Amino acid sequence: MKRIITKRLSMLLFVLLGVTLLTFFLSHVIPGDPARMMVGQRASEETLQEVRHQLGLDQPVWVQYFTYLKGLLVGDFGTSIRTQQPVSHDLLTFFPATIELALLAFVIAIIIGIPLGILSAVKKDTGWDHAGRIFSIAGVSTPVFWSGLVGILIFYKFLDWLPSSGRLDLAIAPPARITGLYLVDSLFTGNWAAFKNSLWHLLLPAFTLAFAQLAIVTRQVRSSMLEVLGQDYIRTALANGINGPVLLFRYALRNALIPTITVVGLSFGSLLGGAVVTETIFSWPGMGKYVVDSIAYLDFPAIMGFTFVISIGYVLINLLVDIAYYMLDPQIKE
Amino acid sequence: MSVQTELLPAKRTVNPLWYKFRKNPLTLVGLVVLLFIILLAIFVPLISPYEPTKIHVVERFSPPSAKHLFGTDEVGRDIFTRILYGARLSLGMGVAVVLSAGVIGTAIGAVSGYFGGRIDQIIMRLMDIVLAFPSLVLAMAVAATLGPNLFNALLAIAIIKVPVYVRLARAETLALRERLYVKAAYTFGIKPWRIITRHIIPNAVTPVIIQVTLDIGDAILMVATLGFLGLGAQPPTPEWGAMISVGWKYLLDYWWYPTFPGLALFLASCGFNLIGDGIRDILDPKANR
Repeated sequence: MKRIITKRLSMLLFVLLGVTLLTFFLSHVIPGDPARMMVGQRASEETLQEVRHQLGLDQPVWVQYFTYLKGLLVGDFGTSIRTQQPVSHDLLTFFPATIELALLAFVIAIIIGIPLGILSAVKKDTGWDHAGRIFSIAGVSTPVFWSGLVGILIFYKFLDWLPSSGRLDLAIAPPARITGLYLVDSLFTGNWAAFKNSLWHLLLPAFTLAFAQLAIVTRQVRSSMLEVLGQDYIRTALANGINGPVLLFRYALRNALIPTITVVGLSFGSLLGGAVVTETIFSWPGMGKYVVDSIAYLDFPAIMGFTFVISIGYVLINLLVDIAYYMLDPQIKE
Repeated sequence: MSVQTELLPAKRTVNPLWYKFRKNPLTLVGLVVLLFIILLAIFVPLISPYEPTKIHVVERFSPPSAKHLFGTDEVGRDIFTRILYGARLSLGMGVAVVLSAGVIGTAIGAVSGYFGGRIDQIIMRLMDIVLAFPSLVLAMAVAATLGPNLFNALLAIAIIKVPVYVRLARAETLALRERLYVKAAYTFGIKPWRIITRHIIPNAVTPVIIQVTLDIGDAILMVATLGFLGLGAQPPTPEWGAMISVGWKYLLDYWWYPTFPGLALFLASCGFNLIGDGIRDILDPKANR
């Protein structure tokens, strides 16, 4: 157990070094001048040099890299060229919105995906199963931005059931910030109007984001369920007169869930990536929208900070998955 | 012996691969959808009287009709025509990027696995690092830092796809290296590169083919996603993602503009995924359907 954790954490170190190296050197080799972006086309050469000096752009690349690394160690991601704020401040501001969206999508993917997978496995080769297969292939084949657009068309434009953008109606004040997750904060403060309204705003983006992951979870549960159901101990249990829900949930599902956890863990990572697109479509004020807006400005500190934070999250999730694996399956030793 | 031969049924007339393929109707659906798109994309100059980039402002935002099957965009270009020209790009790019990643990855993996040692260790750790990223975020970061154009987007996607093939080919190579015929080749003094190209790679290629077919759909989506985020092909190139990135702003008033390129994207990706699924079932006896 300890070995796995140490191994993963040292991996994390390498990954993060890799991230910084990759983004930093790529962004410093290519043409495109952040100082020029900052001061505008009409600024004088002197101002340009001044800003370059302030940003440290007149230093050799490797000096810049170590300055950047040193900053990272104390949580300093540099200053965003677009917002003129520290990147860490910006990311902290937008982080809760992304997490709230990703978490809800994650819950949706699991709550719907696992039962669907079980159903497909139990009713193998029937209409249910075929429908499930078509559904999951459609899920992985649908671009997130397109399902978002179609969702807006149907539920906002034609049916007018759900809002199409933002976290709250303009008329409703956000709840006092405790966690930054509107759903949680409004519950804590007993602000029902804000709770209802933010849930309303969350539904469409969260379902859009969940759709692809839902398909992957369904498929994984189905195939591991099928594998477990074919095993000897299940036959023995059946022969001993155990059947129905007890067999399915207490005997089969517990073992089938073990390989599912890897897929589910990885899918949370992809949710963070997919959030970039979903947030753009739904004008959701999260980190993803922040980074997409930053790209247009060649705002490298912001892009690098975002990539860095997401990579940490991704590796940590993988670590959690490994730990969960170990705890759930006593057969795994090291 | 002769008795047994007589007992055998008459010579099989159905190719077993084709038989398996036929038994899997969804794969056939995928094949038909894809062939349909490809044929349309090839013959689009004969089918459509319009040019993909010619501006015709008078007809801007015409809704779908017999004249403009999928309507027109903000400068009056025929969306149906643009989608079909876009198909050449999107399908071509998706296939090209995955094939290059497959070839490069297999080569690296086979060499790395055959020689082993420190270089192998370094290569594998590098690949682990790339795999430890969420793929879309990495592709975005690379494409953004290299600068937004189609080639850089393809490069970014290739970079994130290569490690999977390196791992696959390496695992196969490690197993093949212990086979008698490889060892025999070695004792005959055959040069390593010849062993790798003649004896190892041809036998390691099945899992790579399966992975390639499963990856193409995903690569097409990724090219389009980067295009949508402004990191791939730039307008007015008729690339599906780039079309949607302009069109989605008009969604509420002119729904057809972003909807049809997205539909094409969905169908193409679906076609490849269905075929990939079928090919895996056929080639990989262990795959649990």
